[in-house]
Amino acid sequence: MLLAHQMALESEWVQAEMVEASEFPELTSQFGVSGVPDTSINHGAARVVGAVPEEHLLAEIQRVVAS
Amino acid sequence: MAELLNSEIKEQVRQVFADLKEPVEVLFFGRAEDCLYCEDTQNLVREVTELSDKLSLRSYDLDEDAETAAAFHVDKAPTLVLAAKNGAEVQDYGIRYAGIPSGHEFSSLIHDLLRVSSRDSGLTQATRDFLSKLSKPVHLQVFVTPT
Repeated sequence: MLLAHQMALESEWVQAEMVEASEFPELTSQFGVSGVPDTSINHGAARVVGAVPEEHLLAEIQRVVAS
Repeated sequence: MAELLNSEIKEQVRQVFADLKEPVEVLFFGRAEDCLYCEDTQNLVREVTELSDKLSLRSYDLDEDAETAAAFHVDKAPTLVLAAKNGAEVQDYGIRYAGIPSGHEFSSLIHDLLRVSSRDSGLTQATRDFLSKLSKPVHLQVFVTPT
């Protein structure tokens, strides 16, 4: 989790929310979350499943921002 | 009321909190009804913030304090906002916890408090360079389950 929060701390454009899946089942099923951690970028524009290295999450964000 | 953190854990966290630098304010948003974990979350974060005088807690009700909730873009209960406190000013970085930070997420919470207190993301230069050029919003939601 830390990684997304670190990005929020670094940039005023980034907001990062940890969502405890079992407490918010509607949102969780809306995103079709099956494994955790599961990171959604811009409400599902990209998804990153699993705990990934910083470069990996960064690359996915770059892809979303560029599109 | 029973304490959620035992004295051993409190002592460990207190030691880690010796590294806190600048003040951090935690904003708790709860709801009186239909919120299974609001009370536990509020108690947990109260116990944590009581372990250092560099940490403070403000509690809000999502319905009664709707304006504040909207100002912080909070729409779930419970939600924690981890913000910097610079004098009287609260600086929101967009760091949120929706749901109780228990198990593995408890340790994330403690580390996040230290990070916000340091005002330094600790990210690599490549990531910082990219983020400094951002000009549109990026909204990350990380789904987790208690472990």
